[in-house]
Amino acid sequence: MSYLELSGLQKRYRDAVAVDDVSLSVEKGEAVALLGPSGCGKTTTLRMLAGLVDPDRGAIRLDGAEVTRLPAHKRNMGYVFQSYALFPHLSVARNVGFGLEERRVAKAEIARRVVEALAMVRLSGLDQRRPRELSGGQQQRVALARSLVIRPSVLLLDESLSNLDAKLRDTMRHEIRSIQRSLGITTLFVTHDQVEALTMCDRIAVMHRGRIAQIGSPEDIYERPATRFVAEFVGRANALPATRDAEGRVVLWGERLPVAAPAGGEFDLFVRPQRIRILPISEPVADGMARVTGKVLRSVFVGDHVEVLVEGAAGQIQVELQSGTALPQEGAEVALVWRARDTLPFPRETA
Amino acid sequence: MSDARLKWLLLPAGLFVLAVYAWPTLGLFRNAFNETGPTGAMVETWSLKTTAEVLADSFTFELTLNSLWLSLSATLLALALSYPVALFLFRTNSRFRGLLAVVAIMPMLISGVVRVFGWLAILGDRGLVNSLAQSFGLITAPMKLVFNWTGVTIGLAESIMPYMILALLAGFGQLDRTLEEASRSLGATPMRTFLRVTLPLSLPALALAAGLGFVLSMSAYITPKLLGGGRVFVLATEIFEQATTNTNWPVASVLAIYTLVLLLLLLAASNLAARGLKR
Repeated sequence: MSYLELSGLQKRYRDAVAVDDVSLSVEKGEAVALLGPSGCGKTTTLRMLAGLVDPDRGAIRLDGAEVTRLPAHKRNMGYVFQSYALFPHLSVARNVGFGLEERRVAKAEIARRVVEALAMVRLSGLDQRRPRELSGGQQQRVALARSLVIRPSVLLLDESLSNLDAKLRDTMRHEIRSIQRSLGITTLFVTHDQVEALTMCDRIAVMHRGRIAQIGSPEDIYERPATRFVAEFVGRANALPATRDAEGRVVLWGERLPVAAPAGGEFDLFVRPQRIRILPISEPVADGMARVTGKVLRSVFVGDHVEVLVEGAAGQIQVELQSGTALPQEGAEVALVWRARDTLPFPRETA
Repeated sequence: MSDARLKWLLLPAGLFVLAVYAWPTLGLFRNAFNETGPTGAMVETWSLKTTAEVLADSFTFELTLNSLWLSLSATLLALALSYPVALFLFRTNSRFRGLLAVVAIMPMLISGVVRVFGWLAILGDRGLVNSLAQSFGLITAPMKLVFNWTGVTIGLAESIMPYMILALLAGFGQLDRTLEEASRSLGATPMRTFLRVTLPLSLPALALAAGLGFVLSMSAYITPKLLGGGRVFVLATEIFEQATTNTNWPVASVLAIYTLVLLLLLLAASNLAARGLKR
């Protein structure tokens, strides 16, 4: 059995299901992201883990013991809130020492561990400040130190980076990840930011409408999305309406592709823009490659890459090229080529 | 609109206050310097004789203590009852929240006289409390709950509660549910969370509400008069007695100004305390 086990968790509110059916196993020392759009139930799941919300159904087991009904203060979970939730009336040191005081740790020991924790998040010397005298990034570090100093069984981070500006977010991402790794602390991140999920975690659970749509390594999720929702939510993708021919092969823009069509009704092909190459129309292509032709509508230079929009027989395809390569001429007839295995067919949603 | 033109917006209210408040108050100050002649008629003069007499009178001292004591006990009682109500209203997600808030401040909408008669029906010798206690055999003779300090304290506490609840709600700025969740996630029991987080963060609101309740209690007249049954003497009732029954305007004026100064000092102290608590 895994270190942390969620099985069949469900939480309904008056007029909505927040979490429908969530089961998840997390190994000791592992970092798992709960990734999804707002309202997918990821924060409710985290709050159930912390004991801040009672599940209607299901069970939570930690290290073999059932904790589903254990009150929050007995769970020993470190929770970092989105708003940081620092106590405004207490100094930084008292904030960080709060959990230790509640555990009746000796004063000298508290002082020592608070200094240690503040050093770990690189805030030494600020221990007598009040939270509101700190910047957003510093407050975030205090919140992290306060949750880590109690040596929690699991560290829970709720959209913890979303209130920081982009540059700081980048720094904190790496810092939190390296702290998490060096302490070997089991961690659950809730985030709607895929970069955060992809870079900070060993595994990602993509959540959709109160359920886990897919769980796997960042690579799995990105390269082999299990559902149309995951393909759309993680990374960018062209969704191209396609048809099947008599032999069951995919037909796109009148061209047959070396891709097997899925059984059933109408479907779309998902192709990531950066997996597509632009070639002269005369150039032959190898086996196992998908090829369609079209006209370059426009090229936009975005700095680290170039976005090219190509119009074909039945729609448009977005292509992402590395900058520094020669820009295709607007209006030029070109061939778009990608590997057949980068083509992901998903049934069309009948929403 | 420029600031210069903006201030004209204050003109109507300014004129109104001038007419109904500033002018009578000036009259109050003027009367305080008059004396009462041997016949009881007011003698127009400019002297501090009345002030000196009132301040030297031991009854004034007794009234002051009575007023302070009554206000303190009513305020503390009201605070103890209002704080949980305000906390509930501040936090509840109930769809009836608006309605509950209106219910909480409902007493403000009812005349003080009507409320007093309500209390007489509840606390009187044959009132609800006494008849219930007697029918359960808890007591044999009715408890004296009205026409004494007990009745006045209860009635006064009830009448200031709506104001205190509103003041508490206005002062709860720093109180954030997430902070209590943080406390619990760090291992604090609900009780410890209340003592270490909720209560300290409520202190500014509590100071604000207590200051308001105290001032309102000090100036309350109807409740001490009617529920006191002539046995409860405070500054407000004495001012009324002097002004109407005795028609001794100079003494009434001096007492009124004395009360006003007392209140201003208390307000200033309460403001300082609230600011200190907010830091």
